Amino acid sequence: MARIWLDNAFWETPRKEILNAISEEQVDNKQTREVHKLNKLNNDGTPNELFNEVIEFLGEEKIDESTKKRLERKQAEAELDKQKKIEQERSKKLEKLFEYKLETFEIEEIKNSKNRLLKSKLRRSKSIPEVNLYAMMIVKDALEDEHTK
Amino acid sequence: MNTPSKGFVIVASKNSNFYIYATNLAESIKDFYPEAQITLVTEERFIDERADVADTIIHCDNHYRAKLWGMAQTPYDITMYVDADMDCEHEDIMTVWDNMKDYDMVFHELTKEREKFYAVRYFDYQGKREMYTLCGGVCLYRSSNPLVREFMEDWFELFNKQYNNMWKPDGFDDEQWRRDLKHFDQTTLWWLVNKVEKYKDLKIGFFHDDIRWNYFTQYGYENLKSIEGKPPILRHYSGSLKKDTLIV
Repeated sequence: MARIWLDNAFWETPRKEILNAISEEQVDNKQTREVHKLNKLNNDGTPNELFNEVIEFLGEEKIDESTKKRLERKQAEAELDKQKKIEQERSKKLEKLFEYKLETFEIEEIKNSKNRLLKSKLRRSKSIPEVNLYAMMIVKDALEDEHTK
Repeated sequence: MNTPSKGFVIVASKNSNFYIYATNLAESIKDFYPEAQITLVTEERFIDERADVADTIIHCDNHYRAKLWGMAQTPYDITMYVDADMDCEHEDIMTVWDNMKDYDMVFHELTKEREKFYAVRYFDYQGKREMYTLCGGVCLYRSSNPLVREFMEDWFELFNKQYNNMWKPDGFDDEQWRRDLKHFDQTTLWWLVNKVEKYKDLKIGFFHDDIRWNYFTQYGYENLKSIEGKPPILRHYSGSLKKDTLIV
């Protein structure tokens, strides 16, 4: 069987000087598959025959198309990865925030406070500074209560 | 006909951190649902003023799975059991009872996309690969049904036997049983639901958009989301909290 080229070949550079392509060939009842990274020119400046063979087999338009598709896929994957990382950071931050709130609720004045509104605000806080703010308000409220007794 | 009573059951035993988590969870439920009836099942030694948030307190002993005992003690006709290490984040908590429909028990589902966050999902039984599909982190159940109540009692009793090497049905792989299954109340749950004749007719379902009712914080690592794009109602911190370390 003559060598064939899979139609997922793509340009590695915008100037189309390096081509990534996969060939399949049947040799002595054995099918081989090889990944090639092909330069347009050989080291001595002569045209690379394999490079030209791929272009002839698939056509430049087909390679342009699969390069575009590949780029879009890679960009989508990168975007998904980025989103995943952001979500992961957000989750870890939430976990830390929750532990921080539990610790804050163990402060004696906060633990014993009957101010449901402020305690609820503290519980729903979205950040550590916000937790601190409501914690201070609860402690202040408790100290004022103590003072008026 | 009387309106069935409805309430939440939260259990905290063995470790005082769970008492802190449990009272925080109860407060967070009441932040969004002030009329919620809450039963706190906990050890007498833990109780302080924070327990005032509970409408009913039931004392338990320091059992590793007092949770199962507590579920059977519910004073309500319809009960929502919630693991203590959770936090309520959304007003839709008030809609929890709508999930009961005509089911006897409603759970959060262990799905393929969530499986990486579970310690064990697959196991061998009688040479076949089986899997857990029900997660016991939350459970809405019709406790007015005597069979459901019996189920909860059996869950506790059978788990005790399983944990103490007094019960192991044939068909499980010995090594896997000892390593993964014996300590797990999910194993008992799987057995009761799938292998015990008297419970075959119990109607078991899943919460609508069930991820919202038991959102493990680790789900966020994989960006797992509600099918309706809505925020979590109950967030589960089970994998992240240092349960054996004193909070302060």
